Amino acid sequence: MRQFFPVEDLARDDRFVQTNMAERMSDTRSAVDLQRTAKSRGASNRLTPDRHDASDAARSLMHGIMVGEIQALEGAGRTAHDFDAGDGSEGTIPFELKLDMARQAWDEARHVEISVKLSDWMGTEIGQFQENTVLFEAACSNDPVLRLAGVNRALEGLAIDVFTQMKEFGQLADDPFLEFCEDWMLADEVTHVKMGSDWLRRVTENDPDRRAKALDFQRVVDKLFSFGGARGESEESPIGLARRFRELAGFTDDEVDTIAGMDHDALEERKEVVRLARETADV
Amino acid sequence: MGADTTTDTATDTSRSHVRAPFAPWDRRDLPGSFDVAETARRVGNYKWTEMKLFEALGGWVATVPELDIKMRLGTHCYRHAWHAELWHKRLPELREMKPERLTAPANDAMERFVAAMTEPEDSGLTIEKLVGVYRVLIPRFIAAYTYHMNNTSEITDAPTIRSLKFALQDEFDDWRDGELMLQSLIKTPDDVRRATEHQAALEDIMVEAGGITGPGSIGPVQ
Repeated sequence: MRQFFPVEDLARDDRFVQTNMAERMSDTRSAVDLQRTAKSRGASNRLTPDRHDASDAARSLMHGIMVGEIQALEGAGRTAHDFDAGDGSEGTIPFELKLDMARQAWDEARHVEISVKLSDWMGTEIGQFQENTVLFEAACSNDPVLRLAGVNRALEGLAIDVFTQMKEFGQLADDPFLEFCEDWMLADEVTHVKMGSDWLRRVTENDPDRRAKALDFQRVVDKLFSFGGARGESEESPIGLARRFRELAGFTDDEVDTIAGMDHDALEERKEVVRLARETADV
Repeated sequence: MGADTTTDTATDTSRSHVRAPFAPWDRRDLPGSFDVAETARRVGNYKWTEMKLFEALGGWVATVPELDIKMRLGTHCYRHAWHAELWHKRLPELREMKPERLTAPANDAMERFVAAMTEPEDSGLTIEKLVGVYRVLIPRFIAAYTYHMNNTSEITDAPTIRSLKFALQDEFDDWRDGELMLQSLIKTPDDVRRATEHQAALEDIMVEAGGITGPGSIGPVQ
């Protein structure tokens, strides 16, 4: 078995249809079209049961959670595999970090089980929506510290935001089954983010340059995960930024502010793209 | 009632608390087959092999297309990591202050076995991946752990026995999961041939290795 595994080779059965971030963002149909959505959704884009498209949007998001959990499972498993146990230098990782990655693989396997059952509960079939492989791409770095930053802090941080949103959706939709499951997964994700923050600090304790590089990478991934403003504190973003749970997971106020700023910028950039596209179409 | 009677009663009560240090139902005994050094050597072999197993299971998750198997491998990956942790923590208690020193394969053949077991990567080789783990390696774990549990000192080496019992429970559960997955995948004569040929190739190396802890894994070498 190879030491590192490319995203293109991720094994799936025939039901799955994969795409990547570049393809997704070049598809103008996925844009946050504020003029159109404002008419149909009112003032807010938040995923709430009173949106006219709530059912489809929630099913799509749940499918996204499921494929995201599959990739998170694969990423944790690969990190447990790809690096020898050592002192953290020269491509090694501490033995205890490998154990934590194996534990995370188990947690993510349960999350796949939960989200498959929830998808079924919500009336979605596997493969009904595309699978964006951006999450596993963040888990592909040859530097384990970058994986911690990209996966445990950026990706799992996004999971905190998404699960908080879905838990609220379950509450508002009077669906205790959904709310119950999301709350359990949320607890795990807070643990994973905290685990990543702790390990990032420990492994880079005597290497400030490596730590800075990892945090830079995290910002790149966080910007990707802004999904063109789909996640953010603005009511125009379907998914909110879960400040309280991020704080529990070890994010500082400054770090959450930075992410909120990136989300805001991504939303504005996307709006500009949509505006230009509409102008071009009008011409 | 007189004063003497009171004294007798007190004495009787006191005698009733005098009990044998080992209750009649406690048949544990001191003798065991392994001294401290031999126990540490075996535990080091266990840790190395459990590590290789959880690494392989974790790495394979991305390579198998069957969703149910992907999830099972993720679950089993953690169980074997936990066993490795149990053995890692046991080593310093066995006078091995550098656990890494004894974290080693039993011999070269065992190292070759793991290399051969982890070699399949293609998404069409799920049968081969599962055969290596669930029909060759895990049965060897069950054998070595059972032999150790039944032959070590029940008193001096009780901490190892406790860990062996936890690990064995997982090994049995995982073996059953693996066998069910394999039986659901093996549907044609060609599948049977693939499974048996791969198993035979791996068994050859494992026999050469003599088991998880080398010759003597399940009893004195004749």
